[in-house]
Amino acid sequence: MPVAASAIYFLNLRGDVLINRLYRDDVGGNMVDAFRMHIMQTKELGTCPVRQIGGCSFFYMRISNVYIVIVVSSNANVACAFKFVVEAVSLFKSYFGGAFDEDAIRNNFVLIYELLDEIMDFGYPQNLSPEILKLYITQEGVRSPFSSKPADKPVPNATLQVTGAVGWRREGLVYKKNEVFLDIVESVNLLMSSKGSVLRCDVTGKILMKCFLSGMPDLKLGLNDKIGLEKESQLKNRPTKSGKTIELDDVTFHQCVNLTRFNSEKTVSFVPPDGEFELMKYRITEGVNLPFRVLPTIKELGRTRMEVNVKVKSVFGAKMFALGVVIKIPVPKQTAKTSFQVTSGRAKYNASIDCLVWKIRKFPGQTEPTMSAEVELISTMAEKKSWTRPPIQMEFQVPMFTASGLRVRFLKVWEKSGYNTVEWVRYITKAGSYEIRC
Amino acid sequence: MIQNHFQVCAGIRFVLLHVICQDFDRTVKLSDQRIAWILQSSRGRSSMSPPAQPQKSPSPSQPSGKGEVSDLKLQLRQLAGSRAPGTDDAKRELFKKVISYMTVGIDVSSLFSEMVMCSATSDTVLKKMCYLYVGNYAKGNPDLALLTINFLQKDCRDEDPMIRGLALRSLCSLRVANLVEYLVGPMGSGLKDNNGYVRTVATIGVLKLYHISSTTCIDADFPSMLKDLMLNDPDAQVVANCLSALQEIWSLEASTSEEASREREALLSKPVIYYLLNRIKDFSEWAQCLVLDLVVKYIPSDSNEIFDIMNLLEDRLQHANGAVVLATIKVFLHLTLSMTDVHQQVYERIKAPLLTLVSSGSQELSYAVLCHLHLLVMRAPILFSSDYKHFYCQYNEPFYVKKLKLEMLTAVANESNTYEIVTELCEYAANVDVPIARESIRAVGKIALQQYDVNAIVDRLLQFLEMDKDHVTAETLVLVKDLLRKYPQWSHDCIAVVGNISSKNVQEPKAKAALIWMLGEYSQDISDAPYILESLVENWEDEHSAEVRLHLLTAVLKCFLRRPPETQKALGAALAAGLADSHQDVHDRALFYYRLLQYNVNVTERVVDPPKQAVSVFADTQSSEIKDRIFDEFNSLSVVYQKPSYMFTDKEHRGPFEFSEELGSLSVGVESAHNVIPAQRVDANDNDLLLSTSEKEENKGPSSNGSSYNAPVYDGSISLTVSQTQTETPYSSPALPTQASQSTLAIDDLLGLGLPAAPSPVPPPLKLNVRAALDPNTFQRKWGQLPVSLTQECSINPQGIAALTTPQVLIRHMQGHSIHCIASGGQAPNFKFFFFAQKAEEPAGFFLVECVINTSSSKAQIKVKADDQSTSQVFSDLFQSALSKFGKL
Repeated sequence: MPVAASAIYFLNLRGDVLINRLYRDDVGGNMVDAFRMHIMQTKELGTCPVRQIGGCSFFYMRISNVYIVIVVSSNANVACAFKFVVEAVSLFKSYFGGAFDEDAIRNNFVLIYELLDEIMDFGYPQNLSPEILKLYITQEGVRSPFSSKPADKPVPNATLQVTGAVGWRREGLVYKKNEVFLDIVESVNLLMSSKGSVLRCDVTGKILMKCFLSGMPDLKLGLNDKIGLEKESQLKNRPTKSGKTIELDDVTFHQCVNLTRFNSEKTVSFVPPDGEFELMKYRITEGVNLPFRVLPTIKELGRTRMEVNVKVKSVFGAKMFALGVVIKIPVPKQTAKTSFQVTSGRAKYNASIDCLVWKIRKFPGQTEPTMSAEVELISTMAEKKSWTRPPIQMEFQVPMFTASGLRVRFLKVWEKSGYNTVEWVRYITKAGSYEIRC
Repeated sequence: MIQNHFQVCAGIRFVLLHVICQDFDRTVKLSDQRIAWILQSSRGRSSMSPPAQPQKSPSPSQPSGKGEVSDLKLQLRQLAGSRAPGTDDAKRELFKKVISYMTVGIDVSSLFSEMVMCSATSDTVLKKMCYLYVGNYAKGNPDLALLTINFLQKDCRDEDPMIRGLALRSLCSLRVANLVEYLVGPMGSGLKDNNGYVRTVATIGVLKLYHISSTTCIDADFPSMLKDLMLNDPDAQVVANCLSALQEIWSLEASTSEEASREREALLSKPVIYYLLNRIKDFSEWAQCLVLDLVVKYIPSDSNEIFDIMNLLEDRLQHANGAVVLATIKVFLHLTLSMTDVHQQVYERIKAPLLTLVSSGSQELSYAVLCHLHLLVMRAPILFSSDYKHFYCQYNEPFYVKKLKLEMLTAVANESNTYEIVTELCEYAANVDVPIARESIRAVGKIALQQYDVNAIVDRLLQFLEMDKDHVTAETLVLVKDLLRKYPQWSHDCIAVVGNISSKNVQEPKAKAALIWMLGEYSQDISDAPYILESLVENWEDEHSAEVRLHLLTAVLKCFLRRPPETQKALGAALAAGLADSHQDVHDRALFYYRLLQYNVNVTERVVDPPKQAVSVFADTQSSEIKDRIFDEFNSLSVVYQKPSYMFTDKEHRGPFEFSEELGSLSVGVESAHNVIPAQRVDANDNDLLLSTSEKEENKGPSSNGSSYNAPVYDGSISLTVSQTQTETPYSSPALPTQASQSTLAIDDLLGLGLPAAPSPVPPPLKLNVRAALDPNTFQRKWGQLPVSLTQECSINPQGIAALTTPQVLIRHMQGHSIHCIASGGQAPNFKFFFFAQKAEEPAGFFLVECVINTSSSKAQIKVKADDQSTSQVFSDLFQSALSKFGKL
């Protein structure tokens, strides 16, 4: 942050300060009271994550049952501040064993102080990379009893200095079995009009990686993206192989990826950090394969009855199947009675969200189950106002399927000792905001 | 259940804080109470730190935790001297407990000496906890802090670099002014330490020292040591911290010391910038933001340098950290400001990364990015017009995101996508979420006012009225009113629908005022207008909004002028009620109308109900100057708040310490969107009737936005209060006519002494006639006869070029400046226009202009011919200034 943060607060939902760190003296201690009074206790909460109260600006975000608030006294860099909080939270999570909530904070005061002092000094972000922080953090996170016990903690050894070139990886790592796990996770966002035309559709994907590799390995990843393939065929002087190529609208990479090489050769090459990290993110708008088509017909029969028919078509390969499919069909508030007929899965009426919820645990490809429901409504006096239908929403996960068609062509690992590695690749497509108007 | 619990507690705390605000002296005591509560709640909730003894009645009046504290004290004393194995573990547990108490708010400062005693250990874990404790209490207990100096100084010489670093950081964090003398030594050696960690701590330490005692810091010559380190240190984090520290120190010193301001400039010198840029990949993501922010301020000597920098930084756009991407975008945008073509290419290049950032990551982060995208879309809507689908709202998105998206959808609407956008907006208008429905309707209206596909939009708006939802009707009425003012030709269709709306269903003041205005304005077309108005007058007492009452007065009078026999009774009643009204403005207006009618009915008609010309351009709410300021501060809070930083950081702009200050001009932007440029004097007269008192009051509010448009306020009847009127339009330049001359004019108008002159946006000596008319033949004749009095070339700003897709856009723009087009033609990149304008005052000479615009070179060639050659230079300046404003939002 070019302009430094003055303080960071962790509050619970009632507004009690769980823990805080004042980095600078330019904000008063009563600032958090101001926040509590003017944001938490009013309807303002949830209106905007950036608020100005008096001379200070508050950036806040809610993570499970904790509010994290950053206070600045001048014109700060918003994106930087939020990114910092996001990174800090993921760091805390890794220390707390996955959970970040009020209890985790209460159990780890000393650790949080230690971390807060290392990741930010006098309001300027310092090093947030977990690998390097391991050298300076003495406390062990108190984990919730359910999560697994941490592996042997590396002995804090400050003499093991991190070389400047590869700031995200320690030297001298040794694994008996060298393994790499690649997860390609895509989420499909869809907005379909009631007439069945696609208003908006895109895919945001990320490639997650888990590395258990010895030494300082150099990795190279090949995808079936258009630019990369074209460049390759250009370099090797042979025509592009036929087959599907994907056009990525935009890509961002983890800091370990050599961007210069990406720009010149269009290859993704990197020295990975140890453990789990997000290698790249991408966005695609063209040529998206929608895994599901939803065909709703909703008839309002008079004032007190509705007929809902929904057909869902799975348009991916017949050998594949989707998991955890949930289709939510909104119905009016005054719904009284419902009856269902489904060809697959289970359907019920959920009054708290005013939706018919149809769940199908395992949904094979190339099938089209239907649900038909009769809804009886309580007749009300204010009849004239017609009901405006919110969109149908859908949740699902389709393993081994990518909506974009992206595939990993190769993942090469070089290390000077020349060990063999085992690579694992998984694909999964999830629903982002999958909305169908009806 | 949790919710309930929250509310109850919230209620209590609210009362409590209220007391704090009123009475600062009692804060201490009250916060003690709070601590007691927090303590209770922490016990109830977690199993952590089981107290050694059961708590004795934690009554709010008595600070609790005393039992535990004295117990801890005892235990610490026992352990201090012990050398038995396992002591360290026991100490660790105790220290943890102390720190937990400290965190939940129990005062454990009485343990200070015991803590210090126990910390004489080689155990790093213990040391760290002790530093934490000391850092927390040193400031409040300077005497005790002195105790720690000794061991901290010793630790600064420890052989473990981590201990050295931690000790130094703790030493700097004591923040006790009279201890600074002990700081200088360790700091000096810290800066020269051979370990990078210690140096990073020391560099920030210098900054801390500066804030405690700037003279000590400067006298010890630390800044120049930092400078040395910045340029030579192998550790990138040290370099980054040096940069942060130096920027802060020198900016603060610059006001008093010339040397400091020179040094600050030196940070922007070519060698420093290049040195940092070449190392950019070594820096952490946060430090990269810092460096990029510095690079923005650097002014390259030529375009080659600009391209070099951009090539070097291009890969940063692919960085996973959104903050780095935004910082890079800022560099690109600012470097290319003067290069129109490249600037446009930059927009194209950054589009994809921005859209990705918006659609990924946490909601808050995407909001921050979305604000920036919003700014860019508003600057160059044309470049984003094909991406409109990205701005479609998702059902579950929060309001603040939807609002920005709606504004962007409005901005990017053009001929090709209006249909889709308006269809989408209509979906939102039916939304259950009332604020969103309102915003969507406003957005539809704004698109209509941009003149794309008006026909279909008017139909849609009228359909809204038939939806029969109160908020939809209310919002639509306000829009229909604005539409009618711009497109009087639609009055027939609209009035037919509006006439059917029962005024009883319209409750919101703004909507009611709009309805009443239409009733008055189109009273001849609505058969029962006099009777509707009459029933409204009958309910005068129940009408709480002064705005509505003002409108009612005017509407009844207008109706009377057109349909006297039917309205006479209502007028009498309205004037009587108005004169008895307690609101000053209403009273004055009633009195004014009454006297005017007494004087002469014809004059009344000329004042109250003159023939109107359509409003051509609705005013923008922010001046381009303010917008440029915000753009300069890209990637900061200014963009989120939509106002330049001085407005929210300087005390005088922010006004008194005011908690309820509205964030951002987000809402202001919409409120004042109904304001109108007085494109024409006569219309402006009417405007002031339309502009509500409440709006005027809003304008007086904290928003010091220089552009917010205050309509002339004729609130005194004929008295000379008029001389206080003030006209501020976005066009007002410092050279605008003085207030006095403006107001005389206004009085002249009101009294009907002479023709309504047209002092629309014009520099002092030259006023143009808004309603100038010239038929093509006369134009041609004149063009042939007159000699060319001026030939000039000027450049057009990039936004203008971007906006110039068809000649019509510019024609409309110039019309807003009372410069009319008689013929136009051409296609990109070459456009040709013939304009004319007429002087408002006698002798009313004409100006003829031939204007050739080449969009690829962004130049305009202007030939001016004039009846009165002496004024052609003034006119040319006016013309160019009008042209230069083209495209600025």
